[in-house]
Amino acid sequence: MTSIFERRLIVVTGKGGTGKTTLSASLALAAAERGLRVAVAETGRDGAMARLFGDPQPAGYPGREVRPGLHVLHLDPFEALAEYLDLELPLPGLSRRLLANRSFRSWLEAVPGWRELITLGKLWHLEQQEDQGRPRFDCIVVDAPATGHGLTFLDVPRVVVSAVRSGPLRRRAAAVEALVLDPARTVILPVTLAEELPVSETLELVDRLVRERGVSVDRVVVNALEPQPAIDLSELAARLEALPAELAGAPSPHGIAACARHLKQRTDRQQEQLKRLREDLDLPLVCLPRLAGGVSGLDDLRQLTIHLLPGIDA
Amino acid sequence: MSGLEALFSRRLVVCVGPGGVGKTTVAAAIAIAAARRGVRTAVVTIDPARRLAEALGLAPGSDDLVPVDVPGVEPGSLRAALLEPKRAFDALVDQLAPDEATRDSIHANAIYQHVSDQLAGSAEYAAMARVHELSARSDIDLLVVDTPPSAHALDFLDAPARLMGLLDSTFLQWLIHPAASAGRLGWRIFQRGTQSALHAMERITGLGFLEEISEFLLAFESMAGGFRERAHEIEALLFGPRCAFVLITGASAASLAQTEAFRARLGDRGIEPAAVIANRVRVWPNDRVLTDPSESADSKASWNAILSQALRPSLGADAERHANAALDLLDGYAFGVASDRAALGPIFERARRTGAIGRVVPEFASDVHDLDGLAAVEAALFNEDPERP
Repeated sequence: MTSIFERRLIVVTGKGGTGKTTLSASLALAAAERGLRVAVAETGRDGAMARLFGDPQPAGYPGREVRPGLHVLHLDPFEALAEYLDLELPLPGLSRRLLANRSFRSWLEAVPGWRELITLGKLWHLEQQEDQGRPRFDCIVVDAPATGHGLTFLDVPRVVVSAVRSGPLRRRAAAVEALVLDPARTVILPVTLAEELPVSETLELVDRLVRERGVSVDRVVVNALEPQPAIDLSELAARLEALPAELAGAPSPHGIAACARHLKQRTDRQQEQLKRLREDLDLPLVCLPRLAGGVSGLDDLRQLTIHLLPGIDA
Repeated sequence: MSGLEALFSRRLVVCVGPGGVGKTTVAAAIAIAAARRGVRTAVVTIDPARRLAEALGLAPGSDDLVPVDVPGVEPGSLRAALLEPKRAFDALVDQLAPDEATRDSIHANAIYQHVSDQLAGSAEYAAMARVHELSARSDIDLLVVDTPPSAHALDFLDAPARLMGLLDSTFLQWLIHPAASAGRLGWRIFQRGTQSALHAMERITGLGFLEEISEFLLAFESMAGGFRERAHEIEALLFGPRCAFVLITGASAASLAQTEAFRARLGDRGIEPAAVIANRVRVWPNDRVLTDPSESADSKASWNAILSQALRPSLGADAERHANAALDLLDGYAFGVASDRAALGPIFERARRTGAIGRVVPEFASDVHDLDGLAAVEAALFNEDPERP
């Protein structure tokens, strides 16, 4: 398998709460630390991504460099539309006036798919941008909307191509569609938890992406796995349960045994779901551990990249 | 009543929170608790896990109310329904279309077929319309709603207003009826600044694109009255005294940040959640605090000695390895418990200040996907023991 960083566009998607943002940030950090110029784009609320890199200020639009070679931006559809219109319209300032008009905004809010289209359009633009004869960004990581919305997100260019007969919009949408479908440039990276519902959604997502849409998916990230202990937890619990419930001067052996049993059950359930993924997906899995203290800063991201790299950069 | 039972005097309980925090299970557990107390309850859920749906007797493809059989709940007092926004929206169109021709032309429209569920938050709107319909039934005392996962927090709250905004939009009016709009003052002011931009936009988007979209929207104009009336009723229900909001969160930083955004959006509407529920929180088994992450290295060394000695008769030379493993495990466990507790501190502090009920549901060993699991969630929410942190 090739390194994921050979792709220009990495779209991270998955069910809500599976860790899309932290995975996107870890990928971007890994790419930047191996010397690539990388952009990581947020599509949800602004701020979470920059904060992970230790920057309390939201990155905004068009974003900024938070670390050497690592550019964070918030893909605000209104800003992206304003930028696009400015590039296309003859009179500067017109797009701002149009977008500031309440009536126009209210109409625009109702136009199906415009957010997704302009967001993808901006990604296409980032991919095309050059700086002194080489791409401005070697790699663009997108923290895409949650599954369901994630599929719609990628579907929009195709819908536009099929609904609009001719003209520049159709040509743009076709260019975006070509980028999304090009396995040499774009890969979708689903992320899931080893739990029933996220696993079911992931199986469905991969099936639809690959079979119906023909986009490239070459691995799946399984996030927040309980670390596999070095010792057999059931055996440890049994040994502790054979001791008196209390020992003077130390924590209760039976209490520790209860913790061990709880962890054992959790790891067993997770292994069952991992097995489901292995059996039903014909793709390599990249497993990330659950960090006990959560993921809130650069040190946590670094720790994740250590686990991530063998599976994505090999 | 100082507990969550206070919710049962409302007509509608809306569970909101970020994706993946377990809104569905919490909503179902609240509904079961209500039904157990004799309140005729319906839980309306969206996108439940397959096994949970089966446990509730829900089958995909139907949005009818089905009776749910739960031990300890009088038959008939608990029902459940699946919310299917696309289906609800289609039903709404059928209901509100002035005639068959309009209805058919909407269903036949290519844009509608591809993206009807995205039109101005129409999925959220339709979901709320269905909730409104159910809330009007006289055989239901309490409706517990699990909200749709949305890309933008709390879209469903704004959906009615957004749809009304669209239908009232002068821009839409102009696209649909250019001649009639030409004389309007508001339009003239708008037009003066942007007419050339619009011409340019036509050039960018391609011939007829704006018209095409507007043609689609035009069909909706004929239903504007019905949509508007519905929207007002939904807003009155959601933001009135008969509705309570329950904010559900996880303990991760990402989940809490999203929850905070939800809370702020509710606050913009003048709403404080009636309850804040943290789900899947790491807690000590049996509520028994075993240690603290700040415990000194000295005491850990002495624990190790005591535990090793106790294990030696059965394990011999392997005793120390087991003692080490046990204490490492305990350390990690304590760290997890303390992290979640610290992370949840601010949101519960705020709940206390605003008089909201705070509750913690522990992380169970496996996903909640059956009635036993729901009973465990229910016990955590409704037992005598108040919030843990």
